Amino acid sequence: MSDREIKVENLSKSYPGGVTAVNDVSFSVPAGQIFGFLGPNGAGKSTTIKILTTLALPTSGRATVGGFDVVSQAGDVRRIAGVALQEIGLDPTMKSMEMLTLQGRLFGFNDRQAQNRAQELIELVKLTDAVDRRVGTYSGGMRRRLDLALALVHEPDILFLDEPTTGLDPASRRDIWEEVRRLNRQLGMTIFLTTQYLEEADELADIVAIINNGRLAAQGSPNKLKASLGAESINLVFDNNELAEQAAGKIVDMTERIQVDRDTVRVYMEQAAQAIPSVVNRLQQADLNPISLTLTQPTLDDVFLQVTGERLKEETAQPAAVVAEPAGRRGRRRK
Amino acid sequence: MATADLTSGTISYQRKQTSASWLSQLFLLTRRNLVNIFRTPEALIPPIAISVFFLVIYQSTLGTAAGFIPGLSGKGYLGFILPLSIVSSSLAGAGIAAQNLVKDLENGYFDKLLLTPISRTAVVLGPILAGSLVLGLQALIVVGVGLLLGLDPATGLPGLLAVVGLSVLLGTGFAGFTVSAALGTGSAAATQSAGFLFFPLTFLTASFVPLELLGGWLKTAAMFNPITYVLGGMRSLMLTGWETSELWPAVAACLLLAVAMYGLAAYALRVRTRRK
Repeated sequence: MSDREIKVENLSKSYPGGVTAVNDVSFSVPAGQIFGFLGPNGAGKSTTIKILTTLALPTSGRATVGGFDVVSQAGDVRRIAGVALQEIGLDPTMKSMEMLTLQGRLFGFNDRQAQNRAQELIELVKLTDAVDRRVGTYSGGMRRRLDLALALVHEPDILFLDEPTTGLDPASRRDIWEEVRRLNRQLGMTIFLTTQYLEEADELADIVAIINNGRLAAQGSPNKLKASLGAESINLVFDNNELAEQAAGKIVDMTERIQVDRDTVRVYMEQAAQAIPSVVNRLQQADLNPISLTLTQPTLDDVFLQVTGERLKEETAQPAAVVAEPAGRRGRRRK
Repeated sequence: MATADLTSGTISYQRKQTSASWLSQLFLLTRRNLVNIFRTPEALIPPIAISVFFLVIYQSTLGTAAGFIPGLSGKGYLGFILPLSIVSSSLAGAGIAAQNLVKDLENGYFDKLLLTPISRTAVVLGPILAGSLVLGLQALIVVGVGLLLGLDPATGLPGLLAVVGLSVLLGTGFAGFTVSAALGTGSAAATQSAGFLFFPLTFLTASFVPLELLGGWLKTAAMFNPITYVLGGMRSLMLTGWETSELWPAVAACLLLAVAMYGLAAYALRVRTRRK
């Protein structure tokens, strides 16, 4: 029986030629948590997931999935883990029902159980109408949903999802999110999710780790990471820069940090929400009325900027399969 | 997405985190490969067409002139040349199963299989067995054409079935070789050409005349060529009868080739997965 935990200690993976895809990475995911592994293309996310799911061997370090060592107990890891890789592995000549049934049977179901299970999953991922068509005719979203269903056939203890929503439209993305949450809450699945979308990590993950150039740059709960950046800010917009400067002058003693950017004043402070009435009062006394007032909490994007020194670009138009990772090693042919 | 529910439904769901028995793994993977092969039947036609063509040509050009070979003439030559036709069609068709494997490697389904808790031997043997069964089917068709041309085997119907059986066994070796090429290169073109590497073997043997009539280096080469013994066994079934002195070497040659090629394929898989 697996303990549903993931433990990674000093994991490294380098390729001949000196490219280090994963560099001394350590983290752990407690049972029943959603772990968001965040980073740009080529940061080492896919390599890590391949090591954890037994498709690749680490160069050094150690990892256990569900209490099983990914190198010496690979068979046990495969038994309890469900995996949907970024490169969707489907046979275009088969039908979804056939593929799901085969998957079930390989995991030890008898024929009838496998068919019932396949039927359930086809309804779950809304492929009922396409069940008689070969997978080659499916759209990108349908293929991704079928791939998720394949990963769920044996109801894994730990589910690995490698960029599950990359290239999906917002509605399909929401569907996947909802399903991930449901699997986590109702079945207690531990979920390891890689993503290049900050919003996705923020929305789903209990713990976030940011990886950049193969190294772990930060980890913690999204809120903790954001809080580590310090203060929230009150943003006041005025008619023009002159008014903004005047306003800043009136309230400068209320805060440690204040910033004027054209017509906007940003007032950084702890517990900014509670401070709003007094700030507004002070301004009204000086007859300065902002045309808008917003409260900003630091985002994961700010966290990312802080720890990596660059913004995480969400380039949805970029063909994910072509970019980054040591050239030639990402393709399926030479793994 | 959450319209249906994993935990509801007609079967009360119990977690199934085991794996199928080794034999059912092998059965499931072989069956899947066979189904896939028959979904692209166009790949099956050329090897069969070529071997039927050769059978007809050999018979028409050499059959009438074969009187010079002691004990072989007319229909006798048909029985003599039919095994060669079967062996060449097996070679031409050996790549079919491997081509499916290349597609699996390319579209990522192969990784999906590696992520399930199934035996690596079943992963390798599945496409090999499917390939050899297809080669058996090809042999059956060539034998059928032979019968239409007036083939009259010394051992009758059981002998013909034995010939088909031998070709399945031989096909295991051939398919093992192309599967190794597929696993080793991951390339459709390389796998295709690897099949041709075996072709000279069909000429470095007693192709058109019995072994005794060969001479010099060709005879030496033929002695080391497993196909010589397979042809010998098949020909004895066609022409003389159940001769164990001919049949056992044939079976042994097929098994030897099959085991060696399986080893090569298993090694290719190891190298492929280790590289990651």
